Amino acid sequence: MKFAKYFFIFLLLSLSSAVWGQSVEAQAGQGADELLPNIMLYVLGIAAAVLFIVAMIFVVKVNQFLYKRVLDLEAGKSGVQLPQEAEARQVEADSFLTSLRKKYWEDAVPIEREHEILSHHDFDGIRELDNSLPPWWLNLFILTVIWAGLYMYYYHWGGNGPSSAQEYEIAVERAEKEQAIALAGMGQQVDESNVEVLTESADLSEGELIFKNLCAACHGQSGEGTVGPNMTDEYWLHGGGIKNIFKTVKYGVPEKGMISWQSQLTPKDIQKVSSYILTLQGTNPPNGKDPQGEIWVEPVAADSTAAPEAAPEIQ
Amino acid sequence: MSRIEQFQYDNRIVRAFGMAAFIWGLVGMLVGLILAFELIYPSLNLSQLGIPYLSFGRLRPLHTNAVIFAFVGNGIFMGVYYSLQRLLKARMLSDTLSWIHFWSWQVVILCAALTLPLGITTSSEYAELAWPIDLLITVVWVIFGINMFGTIIKRRESHLYVAIWFYIATWITVAVLHIVRSAELPYSLLGSYPVFAGVQDALVQWWYGHNAVAFFLTTPYLGIMYYFLPKAANRPVYSYKLSIIHFWALIFIYIWAGPHHLLYSSLPDWVQSLGTVFSIMLIAPSWGGMLNGLLTLRGAWDRVRQDPVLKFMVVAVTAYGMATFEGPMLSIKSVNAISHFTDWTIAHVHVGALGWNGFLTFGVLYWLWPRMYRTQLYSVKLANMHFWIGTLGILFYAIPMYWAGWTQSLMWKEFTPEGTLAWGNFLDTVTQIIPMYAMRAFGGTLFFVGTCIGVYNLSKTASNGSFLGNESAEAPAREPKIAAVAGEYWHKWIERRPIQMLLWSAILISIGGIVQIVPMVFIESQVPAISTVKPYTPLELAGRDIYIREGCVGCHSQLVRPFRDETVRYGEYSKSGEYIFDRPFLWGSKRTGPDLQREGGKNLDRWHYDHMIDPRVTSPGSIMPQYPFLADNELDLSMLPAKINALRQLGTPYPKGYEDRAIADAQEQAQQIASRLKEQGIQDEGIANTEMMAIIAYLQRLGTDIKVKE
Repeated sequence: MKFAKYFFIFLLLSLSSAVWGQSVEAQAGQGADELLPNIMLYVLGIAAAVLFIVAMIFVVKVNQFLYKRVLDLEAGKSGVQLPQEAEARQVEADSFLTSLRKKYWEDAVPIEREHEILSHHDFDGIRELDNSLPPWWLNLFILTVIWAGLYMYYYHWGGNGPSSAQEYEIAVERAEKEQAIALAGMGQQVDESNVEVLTESADLSEGELIFKNLCAACHGQSGEGTVGPNMTDEYWLHGGGIKNIFKTVKYGVPEKGMISWQSQLTPKDIQKVSSYILTLQGTNPPNGKDPQGEIWVEPVAADSTAAPEAAPEIQ
Repeated sequence: MSRIEQFQYDNRIVRAFGMAAFIWGLVGMLVGLILAFELIYPSLNLSQLGIPYLSFGRLRPLHTNAVIFAFVGNGIFMGVYYSLQRLLKARMLSDTLSWIHFWSWQVVILCAALTLPLGITTSSEYAELAWPIDLLITVVWVIFGINMFGTIIKRRESHLYVAIWFYIATWITVAVLHIVRSAELPYSLLGSYPVFAGVQDALVQWWYGHNAVAFFLTTPYLGIMYYFLPKAANRPVYSYKLSIIHFWALIFIYIWAGPHHLLYSSLPDWVQSLGTVFSIMLIAPSWGGMLNGLLTLRGAWDRVRQDPVLKFMVVAVTAYGMATFEGPMLSIKSVNAISHFTDWTIAHVHVGALGWNGFLTFGVLYWLWPRMYRTQLYSVKLANMHFWIGTLGILFYAIPMYWAGWTQSLMWKEFTPEGTLAWGNFLDTVTQIIPMYAMRAFGGTLFFVGTCIGVYNLSKTASNGSFLGNESAEAPAREPKIAAVAGEYWHKWIERRPIQMLLWSAILISIGGIVQIVPMVFIESQVPAISTVKPYTPLELAGRDIYIREGCVGCHSQLVRPFRDETVRYGEYSKSGEYIFDRPFLWGSKRTGPDLQREGGKNLDRWHYDHMIDPRVTSPGSIMPQYPFLADNELDLSMLPAKINALRQLGTPYPKGYEDRAIADAQEQAQQIASRLKEQGIQDEGIANTEMMAIIAYLQRLGTDIKVKE
């Protein structure tokens, strides 16, 4: 039972560190991959501690049982009468370990002696024992109260802990740094100033998938236009050509209901879907919406891409 | 010394409440099953056929109300009416009051079963019922109180047993909670607005909601456990001292923990932290009940293997212990950041409802029925079968829901290295967990089948026996004055004084609520004002009430938490000043669909129109019910003047005389939306007079007050 006591303390400690994890994890960023494993680690730790305690209790019980069996056998062989356990306990003073156990872990009066603490009165046949509060329970209660005080001190009275708003700022700042590092490692990023039309069929079919999942709701399964404009004619509201389409998809046109997709699609994805949209030019699907906007003519410039030429080729 | 008196216990009322618990339990579970299947097969909502009554949004509150107030409520009264008489050695004060109590409670439940599918709801969780029903509940509760305290006054037993402490605390706390939460201003026979708005309404709601769990699902059932478990086990209660400490600690601490439902919301941090720390301090007092239950079984564990009653009780008490440990863990902010708005919460509450309340009710019923019918249980085998099927049902329910909650939360929060959401389309996070929903429905079916077996077993038991309506008993009359015995435990003093017990309970349960709610309501700086936030237009108001009627809040939150993934997905995180005109608040507690706090302006009117007619058109794979009838139902604006008046009385700054312009204003705005829709290709004549205009107006308004205009 000594083991049990120490492992209970260990359990409580691991519990409280899980609890303290609030500030630590908040600072460690909101990335789910970081958030969960930490907590899972605590959960696993606690589960392991519980399992260990159970195993220890089992081992101790088995030991006790075997020891008693051996004593009984020996006594039977030599014909000695063993004193009853209950009497023996009454006479003997508690050992050091037993007194520790009673103080910090459990202090129940054994069933065979419970008549000593049984209430004289009964309620409709129900009687009550006067066992003391389980010490581990009381300790748990006291620890939680102390923890509560420390928590309030850390986050409020002492003013050290971050507020919810500060946690958010810290998380965003951290994420921006990580993002910058990640982007730097990926080399030149695609954006509206340097985007080019993709022609690989793998890229285009990925673009088509994105279009069917996200864009078709407003622009039709074949780009014929429903709520949003027709994508298959040569008229454009916000400019045609890969760069303009990329820009419209990325930032959206909120006042007209076009969503900004930059938080949902990576630049590469936007490039793919924009390239796919250009392949729809001139496909003339049924139920095509009336033209909106103006005919787009690709400005002839030195750095002009092959986009306008590429599109008709593909269809 | 004193004269022995003869009297009779009333078993008929116990039987009535017991049967009601079983019947309503079946109804509540069946509604839950329908909801579980609706999430897998949206066409089961039937709303696409123009039948609005069975859609998820309207049935969800019926499920929660039926289980809490009908199943567990009748279970409470069954347990209290049986144990109170015997613990006090007295028949209930008045048979007439008992039966008025019984029938009026069933009327309340019937009213709920009628009004909720009709969409008559306040949308405050577990307090959805319309104000006239609230009044009826108050009357029932007063009758119950008179009957209970009358019996306590005329008792033959000088001291009150621990079960009765719990009953007294339950009665006073539920009364306080119900009155404060139901403080509302009616504008019509069934409609009303709450006196609290926005973040204050949220705080009052979860002070109420959390403590409905505490003082309706927990404390009365602990009282019931303290009577029936030692009776069934035939063992003395483990520790009288533990009863005392855990009782007083529990009722004092529980009341503070409500704000843990609002972590990372726009509720001020200090209230959130109080919710967290009091939830943690609640572990030991809650476990006190579990320990006293389980340790009472010392020396009776061999019988647990054979006796189905004890089996049910052991699992119930264990489930209670697990749920009351998990609850505080979910109140830690870093855990809550993951769990909140996901199915983890659903798993958690069902461990409590199916395990603790369900199994304890079954245990008590299996113990009571043979006794009241003076016979043996019809079949121990069937009872064991019920036990195992029910236990499997709980596992099949809870495990997939935990899995679903974790999965969805991880997907919500995952970013690509480039800094975009890995699952930018919310729908991907929904379709991912549909298989878990299917497993949950299977678990629920198992539990339901188990309950049916129980009904069969008990009705067979009843038909085999003969019912004892009036059970004879005798006890000595109570001494008028009981002097304290020298050296008696200090707590005995209050056990002889039910009125003091009531008063001290009332004081202890008031403190937490007062400390949290009063500053939030009366200190202005707690809710920083935002100058651009304006009251809703009449049409938006009408739309908001349709949103409430259809129970949209059951699946859509309106609260963007201060997390990077949420601000990227939805927009700026929510500020308390944005909600000052929200009566009731509509933050929600579950995101089966995405948050809508920043929905305004994100999609075209036409998109909303198409989405309401059939969500699968705009969002393939969506599990939202269809609402085609919104485009057919004529918009009823006649209530608007009364609504404007009521809101102005509560403090919304509508100018004087605005109520006279409200209808014309609403029609004008509806006309604008109709013409916008026409531009976008909806050629439907007469659409300007439909409910669709109001719901679109409301959705397009959401969260736009603080949007920076480009």
